[in-house]
Amino acid sequence: MAKVLIAETSYLVRKGLVSLLEQTDGVTELKAAGHPDTIVQTLKEFSPDIILLNSAIQMPVTHDKLLSLLHDKARFIYIINTPLPEDSPANHISVFDTKNKLTEKLSHHLRQYESAEEKEETEELTPREKLILKHVALGYTNKEIATKLFISTHTVISHRKNITRKLDIKTVSGLTVYSLINGIIKMEDIQ
Amino acid sequence: MHISPHTKMSDLVQSDFELLAVLQRLKIPFGFKEKSIQTICREEGIDLNFFLNLARWYHERDFFPGETLMNHPVKWLVKYLRSTHSCYIEYHIPRIEEEIIRMESLDRSGGHNMQLMLKFFREYISEFTTHIQLEEEKIFPYILSLEENFEKETPDPEFLKTARGYTIKDFLDEHSDIEEKLVDLRNILLKYLAPPSDNCLFTNVLIEIFRLGNDLNDHTILEENVLIPQVIKLERDFHNKFPR
Ligand SMILES: [Fe+2]
Ligand SMILES: [Fe+2]
Repeated sequence: MAKVLIAETSYLVRKGLVSLLEQTDGVTELKAAGHPDTIVQTLKEFSPDIILLNSAIQMPVTHDKLLSLLHDKARFIYIINTPLPEDSPANHISVFDTKNKLTEKLSHHLRQYESAEEKEETEELTPREKLILKHVALGYTNKEIATKLFISTHTVISHRKNITRKLDIKTVSGLTVYSLINGIIKMEDIQ
Repeated sequence: MHISPHTKMSDLVQSDFELLAVLQRLKIPFGFKEKSIQTICREEGIDLNFFLNLARWYHERDFFPGETLMNHPVKWLVKYLRSTHSCYIEYHIPRIEEEIIRMESLDRSGGHNMQLMLKFFREYISEFTTHIQLEEEKIFPYILSLEENFEKETPDPEFLKTARGYTIKDFLDEHSDIEEKLVDLRNILLKYLAPPSDNCLFTNVLIEIFRLGNDLNDHTILEENVLIPQVIKLERDFHNKFPR
């Protein structure tokens, strides 16, 4: 199951993709944006799993910055305004593609997403992640957690990204509330 | 529905009642009778195109009228954003708070979960208030003076000094994400809490939080993608007109 964002300036192409994806299995939520600024904004708010991005759009931020706004498992599919060569990569679709071709390619990506996701649904926080979460909820910074647990700050950050993705909670106070509800920390711990 | 100057205001609302929020923020009074959008805008002193651009965006959700909205005096947008702020502060936020209080009082589970939610939401209120205060007390007044002074022959010397030592870009950098916590609250309620006895209340709180979240999203888009770029342009024009 995946959240999909269509980032396409052309009205016709955008509407076409929306109607195609509405009929495709595995899409949980669908958003479309046309203006580069709105695209960036929507990326931040919506946190999509798959982004269909027209390769001709001049984004107001760098590609790296764009990637940093996304979660680890998110992927880009590029919409190309010209016909594709035979050996084009799997994450390229063209405005010249037939419906069958498009459905086939999009389903391929959605399926990969789905199987990864299904595994995760049965997968709760790992003990390691729970430990990190506990420290976050207690108010420690990434650096402090790294020192305490003898791991790198980078590792802490990557655990935190996974925690946030699994729980759908971004802020520290949100994580604290979750930890309290689930007995990962106690009220007395934070008073 | 295509929104045109001749569309009747009552038809507009009937086709999409969410647009009532736009009307309210532009302080358009009810009692539309058979009047068209054009007539009402004229009577209320609202620029027709400003209204049409906003209404079409809210209704169609397809194109973003960033550039078009930027062609209007910045003070209109500021006025609009201000009345959105008071809508949040005076109505939506207190209402959600009251509902959480009611949920807490109905909670017979013996746990402290609803109490936690209330505490969390109150934290959010204080962050939210700080965010809005900054905009109301510093940012908007600066923007309004900028526009006002730009139109003068010679700008107010006091303001000129301020303008030379400040740019709205600083504000954009620290413009905080006002939705994040609200989304967390929503997800916690939705995924991790069993509703207390009154289900209807619980559902309604969720609906209101979803609504407020979407509304805030639009608000941020207007601030970051229309207001601020417009002010950046205005600053440039201002400094060209009054060079050091
Ligand atoms: Fe605001
Ligand atoms: Fe704001």
